[in-house]
Amino acid sequence: MTMSESGGTYIDNFPAEARVVRSALYSSFLALALGGLFGIIQTLHRTDIYRFIESDMYYTVLTAHGVFLVVTFTIFFLVGVFTWAVTTSLDRGVEDIRFTWLWYGLMTIGTVMAAAAILAGFTDSIDMSADVLFTFYAPLQAHWLFYLGLVVFVVGTWLAGADWFRSWWAWKQENPDERIPLPTFMVLTTMLMWYIATIGIAVSILVFLLPWSLGIIDSVNPTLTRTLFWFWGHPVVYFWLLPAYMMWYVMLPKISGGKLFSDPLARVVFILFLLLSTPVGIHHQYLDPGIAEGFKFIAMTNTMFLLLPSLLTAFTVVASMEHGARQRGGTGYFGWLKALPWRDPVFAGMALAGLMFAAGGFSGMINAGMNINYLVHNTLWVPGHFHLTVGTASALTFMAATYWLLPQLTGKALWNRSVALVQVVLWFLGMTFMSNSMHRAGLLGIPRRTAEPQYQGFEFEAGVGSVAELDFQLALGGALLAISIVLFLANVVGTAFNGRSDDLPANEFAETLSGPEDSPQVLDNLKLWTAIAVVLVILAYSFPLMSIVDRGGLYGPDISPFPVSIETLSLLAFTLEQYTTAAIATTGEFVQTTLTGVIR
Amino acid sequence: MKIHTYEKLWLGAAMVLIVALIATITYGAVGLGISMVDDEEETIDPDALDEDDRFNDPRVEHVGENEYEAYVVARTFMYQPDPIEVPANSEVTFYVTSTDVIHSFSVVGTNINTMVIPGEVSSMTAEFDEPGEYGVVCNEYCGSGHHTMEGQLHVVPEDEFDMTELEVEGDDEVAEDDEVTLNVSVENGMLDDLETTIEAEIGEETFEEDVTVEGDSTYETTITVDAADLGEGDHDWSVTVDDYEDSGTVTVVDDLEDDGGDDDE
Ligand code: HEM
Ligand SMILES: [Cu+2]
Ligand SMILES: [Cu+2]
Repeated sequence: MTMSESGGTYIDNFPAEARVVRSALYSSFLALALGGLFGIIQTLHRTDIYRFIESDMYYTVLTAHGVFLVVTFTIFFLVGVFTWAVTTSLDRGVEDIRFTWLWYGLMTIGTVMAAAAILAGFTDSIDMSADVLFTFYAPLQAHWLFYLGLVVFVVGTWLAGADWFRSWWAWKQENPDERIPLPTFMVLTTMLMWYIATIGIAVSILVFLLPWSLGIIDSVNPTLTRTLFWFWGHPVVYFWLLPAYMMWYVMLPKISGGKLFSDPLARVVFILFLLLSTPVGIHHQYLDPGIAEGFKFIAMTNTMFLLLPSLLTAFTVVASMEHGARQRGGTGYFGWLKALPWRDPVFAGMALAGLMFAAGGFSGMINAGMNINYLVHNTLWVPGHFHLTVGTASALTFMAATYWLLPQLTGKALWNRSVALVQVVLWFLGMTFMSNSMHRAGLLGIPRRTAEPQYQGFEFEAGVGSVAELDFQLALGGALLAISIVLFLANVVGTAFNGRSDDLPANEFAETLSGPEDSPQVLDNLKLWTAIAVVLVILAYSFPLMSIVDRGGLYGPDISPFPVSIETLSLLAFTLEQYTTAAIATTGEFVQTTLTGVIR
Repeated sequence: MKIHTYEKLWLGAAMVLIVALIATITYGAVGLGISMVDDEEETIDPDALDEDDRFNDPRVEHVGENEYEAYVVARTFMYQPDPIEVPANSEVTFYVTSTDVIHSFSVVGTNINTMVIPGEVSSMTAEFDEPGEYGVVCNEYCGSGHHTMEGQLHVVPEDEFDMTELEVEGDDEVAEDDEVTLNVSVENGMLDDLETTIEAEIGEETFEEDVTVEGDSTYETTITVDAADLGEGDHDWSVTVDDYEDSGTVTVVDDLEDDGGDDDE
């Protein structure tokens, strides 16, 4: 494993790159600040504790909350931390810093365009709005600037990926016989997944929504654009999560005082994500008419297999922490837990994030169940679930990682470690209240995405406690989270104003107990894994997409390029049947071979 | 590849969990026959629902002994019909479509929950054993009034449920030498015959007629009374069939044609 020979901080070794990474992180935190502000506004509004906006404006707030947090905050953080990971683990700067600034610039411009379209919704004086929420399902329509902004942003991320591939390629020429360093491996597999996933949203926006918002085409097929959204919408959750996973693999073991348990298994995990993240999106459409049950079933099966890499991660992370704790003198079955550095905000934040993610995993299994989903779909249960995943597993890990990264990127010591510790604990507490109440409210049928879940004609009946109690918990949790964000931002700003420090730790990541030399070379064959991933996506999506176009027309019900005829339908039914069995068989076989491969 | 024993155990357990989850759900779908919203229904033109005989008049229909079909239209920001009324101890198939954007049709506290996409018809069947009142909400964001989109589903006790509709047409003004007529039509939407009594009252006069309205049909009758018997002036009338009532007022005048026509004589 290569590591910075010089032993200095990141900014010492890569001053130019440090500036880009810093800019990316600051952009990310700005989005977090705005998103958090909107978060608390909508929490108080929904629960009717404090309302100062009109209810129809709630959806402008909610759109901003969703977009700023799960697009801007997460992805800007991702590009920052990935740049850090690639340059650190390859121990070389980017090939051309101007190119790096180019993609950062595109992402920023894209964000500003989309944000302008969203925020203009707050005033009537500008004839522009994008109150479409972050899912922008047609026939709801946003101003074209919103769609164009998303396009520019995504193109920026594509170029960022290209930048990292370029670094790897250059490194490979000089180190032909070496295994890809683990952090770089993780970055590259994640980006391959991203390239495949973004095809969905690129087609949806460029072929349908953007021309439609510009008046070039009259109508769209709502099921088609919705399906294309989820083609991207599920893998994007792994785009939020994988940078956190990466930190759990390459940072957490070191902070715990030990080494990563297994490098090969970490590679297997990321390959599984590359393969399985995309062919599952239809699990968000279990309740959609016009999509055959067979297609939903395939998505469900794939989704369940997608649990595997997360379960493996849980094991590796805990095992690595235990190793660290024992290095620090911990003993006993559970006694070792006490030996962990709980007072270190970096460790505490990541460990608590991991714990909450386990809870989120359980509610996720419920969501994935095709028929149980009917009970919780679009209820508050769902935000309850993803505030644990993206809202904590990712967000809290990012914040904890920031406490380590920021000194590396600025050369300045963290402003206040105690505030940092309080901050991560507050997040944990706040999220416990908020997500608990959201899950329970969801089981009562209280819908998500609604300004006033207080209806005229009926009331929600709480089995345990009362709706008022749930509202109170939600508001309390939301308030703690908002305070937590303020403390986090205070630390970021405080650190920026600190003086340079000389005794910062060197820029390093975790070593491994079992290194890449213990794993088969084929794990590093990115072309192979990409090819398989593409085949799986084609298998999972070609028939559903054909059938959707067949039913509703490419550009909506009016213009129907594929007239529905009996022959195509029965042919389709037949092929579907064939394909279902084949797909299940191949998935099974595939998992079996990888597993035996892994176990051997 | 070197793998720790514990890791192998964990891997095995993970696979068992995954397969078990899939098996449970497959059992739910295939074994228990819990059905899902799917592509069974034909597509529909969302701009021409008024030309579709299922959705031009959103309603509940009686289609078999205890079987009903509900045709529901979702639009910003309401459901039609509202409330939806069905009897207890029945099996109801809902057909729901949208005229504009994507909505949902979600009956609170049940697993009747579906997306409603323009151009598609969602169908799902549910059994209602007990009477009760349910809220229906739209849980898919559909625009600025999304939070006001609600409806009701009433499951009424079986013996209180009927699909009778009473309509009466009566004259406003009748000449004293003429007859006052009430055209009564009783529609029976149920498949079974409806045995009932039409009771009418016009001024002091009362009428009663026992009728059998055949299933899925309309019975029409005319009630007449000599205007002279009522005498000049305003007379209230009312017609009742079971719990339904229609009423109005008729004015008997000296001579209808005569108004301002005195010169003719
Ligand atoms: C101060 C902290 C936060 C508070 C108080 C908060 C509160 C909420 C509430 C109450 C909702 C539900 C609104 C509704 O459905 O009507 C919501 C939705 C959501 N939140 Fe948060 N949240 C916070 C932080 C976060 C973070 C850190 C993330 C992700 C990184 C996040 C991502 C989302 C997303 C994606 C939605 C769904 C938006 C939609 O339905 O379109 N939130 N939030
Ligand atoms: Cu998903
Ligand atoms: Cu709605």
